[in-house]
Formats: sequence, structure tokens, C-alpha cells
Amino acid sequence: METKDKIIVKGVSFFYGRNRVLENIHAIFSEHTITAITGPSGQGKSTLLGLFNRMWDDVPGARCTGEIRIRLVDRWVSPMKNDIPMPLLRRKVAMIFQEPNPLPMSIAGNMAFPLKLAGVRDKSIIEEKVQKALAQAFLWEEVKDRMEKSALDLSGGQKQRLCIARALVLEPEVLLCDEPTSSLDSKAAGIIEDFLVGLKTSCTLLVVSHYMEQMRRIADKVMALQDHGLSQI
Amino acid sequence: MMHAVAEKAVVVFSWAMTIVLCLCVSIFLGYLLIRGLPSLGRELIFGAEDPLRVLLGRARVFDGIFPAIMGTLFLVILSASLAVPVGVCSGIYLAEYAGAGMKKFSGLLFDILAGIPSIVIGLFGFSLAVFLHNHLDDRFGPCLLISSLSLAVLVLPYIVRSTQTSLEELPDGIRRTAIALGANKLQNIAYVLIPNALSGISSGIILAIGRCAEDTAVILLTGVVAVAGVPSSLLSQYEALPFYIYYISNQYTNPGELSGGYGACLILLGVCAFLFMSAYGVKKHLSHRTLYRA
Repeated sequence: METKDKIIVKGVSFFYGRNRVLENIHAIFSEHTITAITGPSGQGKSTLLGLFNRMWDDVPGARCTGEIRIRLVDRWVSPMKNDIPMPLLRRKVAMIFQEPNPLPMSIAGNMAFPLKLAGVRDKSIIEEKVQKALAQAFLWEEVKDRMEKSALDLSGGQKQRLCIARALVLEPEVLLCDEPTSSLDSKAAGIIEDFLVGLKTSCTLLVVSHYMEQMRRIADKVMALQDHGLSQI
Repeated sequence: MMHAVAEKAVVVFSWAMTIVLCLCVSIFLGYLLIRGLPSLGRELIFGAEDPLRVLLGRARVFDGIFPAIMGTLFLVILSASLAVPVGVCSGIYLAEYAGAGMKKFSGLLFDILAGIPSIVIGLFGFSLAVFLHNHLDDRFGPCLLISSLSLAVLVLPYIVRSTQTSLEELPDGIRRTAIALGANKLQNIAYVLIPNALSGISSGIILAIGRCAEDTAVILLTGVVAVAGVPSSLLSQYEALPFYIYYISNQYTNPGELSGGYGACLILLGVCAFLFMSAYGVKKHLSHRTLYRA
């Protein structure tokens, strides 16, 4: 299958105040692939991920130069030029964090939350999308009988799968994963890895990870962020 | 070896201090109960009047503390109604929107406000009453409204600070969750940050309610009197439990009256407990509703 470009990064630099975190980054990420990004701590891997959905907008002193283009809903958008509404950008370019962060509400509440934020009010649509996303995350069978129970009572691996499912419920085109398995045991991490590989058919994934073995298992391309620059390895 | 001994000494000292503290509270409550319980009864609250007629508003109490209980309740509810919206909104602004300079400046102002003695706030309230009386309307004077305004100013820093701190202390994980799901800043604040910070915010409100119920210096200058009956409007003078306790312990003519003062102390503690429980109930209900609404 011919792969199209999904994200193009041209000469991107990022600064916190006077501190340069990323310098002149160039990269192309193809559609329906998993790109793993590795590198020593403090090199700006999470910062780089956050550029694609503008998570750093509200951070005082944060400044970005260069160009990022993402093909979303079959048109090229430049998030840094504000040519796409921020909520839409973040729904289409979803993000998973290192620590699973379910909201202190029920499993159903967590899953419905992003849909309600997006203005979906029809209960049958919500139920259908929630069930589909949970099934995608191999979680539906485990939680279908306790949807109204607190999401905080799930195990670490289940919480992380819930958070990924919660992002998937919005049908994102790009999934940014910031060390999604680093707080999990090897069994739970294995389940998440399989799950991420399965998502390639619907998403383009960028995964930050420290585990070389894991990256080789799941990634189509591995890139290293070192000395503020990004290169393929 | 020395470290182990030092650690043991610290543990024993901390344990002893905790026991001393628990003992002090027990002695304090025990003493209040012993002195106040005998006087506690229908007569202390309603005097010679029929409680039902009083509660229905068909009779006035002249020799009981029912008007003081009602005055205290009105005072606390009114002060909290004035202070909570302003304080919580300011706290949200300072935590989520204000720049570093604004935070520093307003933080300094609120710290100064928190340090102002309550009698000074009372004097400010009294001056406001005089100003309004002279320049706006004759009906203005020291009254329930002025007392409530002054108490609201007194407790504002607690509410602002507790709101600001509880929001600022939320971990990044919670802070970024809704943003990453497409929420705008206001949605993030309303659906995620406030519900998660509600426990800290309500602690500040509960503290403020306690302060409103117990402060005597402010109300002394702004409208409380020994005999006024249940306040009929915001511009009426009123009775309040802290002032009753102060007044009776200064002016008692026989041990029975003093015992009534102790009884009023117990009732004040009961009123505070009732207010705290109500605030706790509201907090629980609010957090549930707010979280699950989203």
C-alpha cells in the first residue's frame, strides 16, 4: 500500500524563554505508520510531541519557530498558524501521557467526556462510539458490566487502555503517545504494544519511548532526538 | 546509635504533644458541657414563649437566645453569599489567568488583608454605615447588611487563597487531560480543574464560615445589639450568639445567667457544626453533580 505523508516538520525550533529545547528539526511522518522517537532524558521528546497539538500554547515563555503541516480530514493544516480551531486540532491529533490519567468519574463518564466536549448529545451515538473505542482497546469485555463504577478503581494497564480508548472515541487521525508503557508492568505493556500496532490501520502514531526493544517490535521507523536535533536510526 | 535515640525522642515528644493537645480539647469541651448542659433547654432558647408560636413567627422571644441564633445564621449565610462568589472567582483568576506580576501584587494585597485585625475591618464597616447614612439614605446605619459586608471582607482572603492554592496544586496530568481531549480553557476549568480542587476550595469556605460565625469584633461595631429580636430586614439591627456570650459573661448578675452563657457557647458550637456539615454536604453534592454532568 502506498503511504502518504501525514506530518511534515520543517526547520522547527522551540524555546522556553531563552532556553533552546529543539533546534532546526526536519522530519516527515507517513500515514498509518508508527514512528518511535527516542533519546536521552531532557532532550525535548515530549516537547516535540506537544508541538503537533499545541500543548505548549499556555506555557509562559514557550515559543516556536519553523513550520509544521499535518494532513487532517484530507487537507493540509498548519497548527502553528492557527488555521484550524484548537479543539478540532486536539480531537484529531490526540495525546496519551506517561501516567494514565482517568478523570475521577465513572468509566462511562470518562469515555463520554470528550464526546460531550465536542457537542455530541445523542445518547445512542455516544453509547455506540464508547463501546467501539473500548472494544478497540481490548477493554470492553472487562468493563462492560461496571461502566458506572469509578475509573480510578481500574488497574494501571486498564487505566492506560481506558485513556487511549477515551482519545480514540474522537476518531483521531494522529495519536501522540508520550511513553505510554513506562509506568506499567511488562504484561500490561505488552497488551498496550499490541493495541498500538493494531491502531495503525486508523491512525498515524508517534511514540516516545526509552525502550529500544519495544521500539523495534512496534515501530516502522525509529528516530533519535539528540543534541536538540532529530535523526533517523 | 545517636540517630536512633534522637529519632525515638522526636517520636515520643510528638506523641506526647498530640496527647496534650487531645487532652486540652477534651478538657475544653468537657468543661463547656459541664457548665452549659444544665442550662441547655427550651427556656434558654425560647424563654417563656411557646416554641411553635415562635417558629411560626407569631410570638417574639425577649428572654431567650432564639433571635441570637437566627441572627448568627442570617449573618453567616449572608456573609458567605457575598464572599464565596467573589473569593472563588478571584482565586480562579489568580490561579489560571493572572500573570506573574499580577499574582505577586494581588498576593501581597490579600496577605495584608488577611493580617488586618477584625476590629479595624469593623471600624471600616462602621464608617461605611455612617457614610451611607449621611449621603444615601437615613435608613442606613449599623445593620445586618453592613456586618455581613464587613465579615465578607474579613474572610475573603481565606477563600481566595484556598481556591488559588488548590487549583495551582493540581498535578499536570489532570491539568492536561481535558486540554488534550479538545477542551478549551474554560471547559477545562469548569469540568476538570474545579471539581478536582473542590475539596481544597470548600476547606477555605468552611474556614470562612467558622470565622463568620465566631467573630465578635466586627459585628460589635457594625450592628449587633443585646436586644433586637429576629432581624426583619437587611437594614435591621440584630442579635448574635458571640455577642450574647460576650455580653452575658460581662454583665451577668447571677450564676444562672452565666450558665446560660455556657449554654449559648454549646449552641454556637452546634450552629457551627451544622454549618460545617451543610458546607460538607454541598461540597459532596456539587462535586458529584459537576463531575458527572460533563
